[in-house]
Amino acid sequence: MDLLLQVIINGLLLGGLYALMALGLALVWGVLNIVNLAHGALIMLGGYAGYYLFTLMGIDPFLALPLVMLLLFILGYALQRYVLTLIARSPMFNTLLITFGLDVIFMVLAQLFFSADFRTINPSYAGAHVTWFGLTFPQVQLYSFAVALLLTVGLWLLLLHTRIGRAIRATAQNLSAARLYGVNPKKIYALTFGIGAALAGAAGDLYGVVSQITPYIGATLTAKCFAIAIIGGLENPLGVIVGGVLLALIESLTALYVGPTFIDVASFGVLVLVLIIRPQGLLGKTAK
Amino acid sequence: MKRYSPLLLIAVVALLTALPWFAGPTLVQFAINALMLATLAQGWNIIGGFAGYASFGNSIFFGLGSYGVAIAMVQWNLPFGVGLVVGVIFSIIFALAMGGPVLRLRGHYFAIATLALSQVMSAIFSNLEVAGRNIGLVLPLLRSDTLFYELSLGLLVLATLTVFYLSRSRFGFGLIAIRENEDAAQSMGINTTRYKVLAFTLAGLFCSLAGGIHAYWITFIDPNSAFDLSLNVKMIIMAVFGGPGSVLGPVIGAAILSAISELLSSTLSSVASLFFGVVIVLAVILMPKGLTDCWLKFPVTRWRYFINNIRQYRL
Repeated sequence: MDLLLQVIINGLLLGGLYALMALGLALVWGVLNIVNLAHGALIMLGGYAGYYLFTLMGIDPFLALPLVMLLLFILGYALQRYVLTLIARSPMFNTLLITFGLDVIFMVLAQLFFSADFRTINPSYAGAHVTWFGLTFPQVQLYSFAVALLLTVGLWLLLLHTRIGRAIRATAQNLSAARLYGVNPKKIYALTFGIGAALAGAAGDLYGVVSQITPYIGATLTAKCFAIAIIGGLENPLGVIVGGVLLALIESLTALYVGPTFIDVASFGVLVLVLIIRPQGLLGKTAK
Repeated sequence: MKRYSPLLLIAVVALLTALPWFAGPTLVQFAINALMLATLAQGWNIIGGFAGYASFGNSIFFGLGSYGVAIAMVQWNLPFGVGLVVGVIFSIIFALAMGGPVLRLRGHYFAIATLALSQVMSAIFSNLEVAGRNIGLVLPLLRSDTLFYELSLGLLVLATLTVFYLSRSRFGFGLIAIRENEDAAQSMGINTTRYKVLAFTLAGLFCSLAGGIHAYWITFIDPNSAFDLSLNVKMIIMAVFGGPGSVLGPVIGAAILSAISELLSSTLSSVASLFFGVVIVLAVILMPKGLTDCWLKFPVTRWRYFINNIRQYRL
């Protein structure tokens, strides 16, 4: 029983990070209608940014978050403003292909510059944990869960209560109408992609603390983010949290009861099922 | 097709058939690979280029075909030909079982569902005892590049003839109608579900046979290589680069891209992948409709062709 509870807690904590990973993907997908296959690669780059800030300058990964996010924001903004904007209205294949091409480019460049070695951001408190009610809570996971929650709620508030948020939502709903009201879609698109990339960067930084970074983690992470975004629905950032937690729980319970080799069968199987039964996501539509 | 004279095509095929008798082993091995990729691109063309469904699940058929041959030959001691049939049966069962529900999804959702399915299949096979779990299977060795070459060439010709038939048959026009406007196609009396499932199955058939031949040629398969997602992306890129929905576009796209990446990979492998990424990005931006479209329109509009494309699709 205690083991089950512990597994559930680990799943919940991991779920926060999962949600943060998928948040940027869902945002970009919902607003720009781009399914960004390079999202995992952006997470990977965020991980390396955090790693080098920590090892070269000794900046704590949690303090480095704003800096990592700024770096990835600039990258994302430039990508959308100068590359993706050129194909904004082309058919779906082409947006899938171009983001896949970017994914390959980032992966190879990371391999060239950072080598293929495993990297982990390893602050002094990496192994520390607190014990409540006889259950173990790893400190790092606890912090990253809190950060993930904070950023998700922050994004939610940004979308609901600020001018920029309104402009982003208006652009997502009706591009030409938004244009008539004086929204510059090019800027809004670039801004949205930038925010998506910044969130991916934050997720990468935290991922580097709890797991290992290599140039090749991008594709798997992208697939995972899809699963989370689809399970949670694209319309509401809070849905993504539910998606992240659900996926993490499914994974940890599968590992416990069926066996660790079945994790992918379970998580992607659930994704296919959700798509077939409820393509708008578990919380889609109803959340609006 | 009027632009290509049939006589010229027959001559090219005849020349290709004779290739193993005057080319060195390296060239033949490269050709087997290129022919396989061209077959995959041509298979994807049926579901992606004609019906307009961005399938990321065609690598599943490749994997099923490979495993069909491997399981039949290693576990059941059956000959290669029977193995191919086993792979095709696996693929048809899969296409009929999953085609219906998955093909109801549209756009990105279809793409992601097929992508996830390929992950599921890979994970399932890495847990199957009969498939050798994670370790995979080692097939009996047959040293005859010529045989594999001729088989691959024959399969590509068959796939291309099928697509040629599609390009002028009622079935093919039905698929194009689905691509252009599915609801309208349905209201015109096209049984869209049946058309889509049939296209999916047909595409899977060629991928499966290519996978079977490849498995026996390589003599080793494991879940990661059999259900390799990047193979699926490669076939899409080759088809889209050449011209999706055309008869020879995917073949030409596959030939050009595999030749270039082979030339580069002999110098430095990471440069080859980098080049691949850059080509994808540039090709999508500059000629989103593929080489075939560029070939037809470039002589008229010259360099403005590329600028017009960007102008048409940018925000």
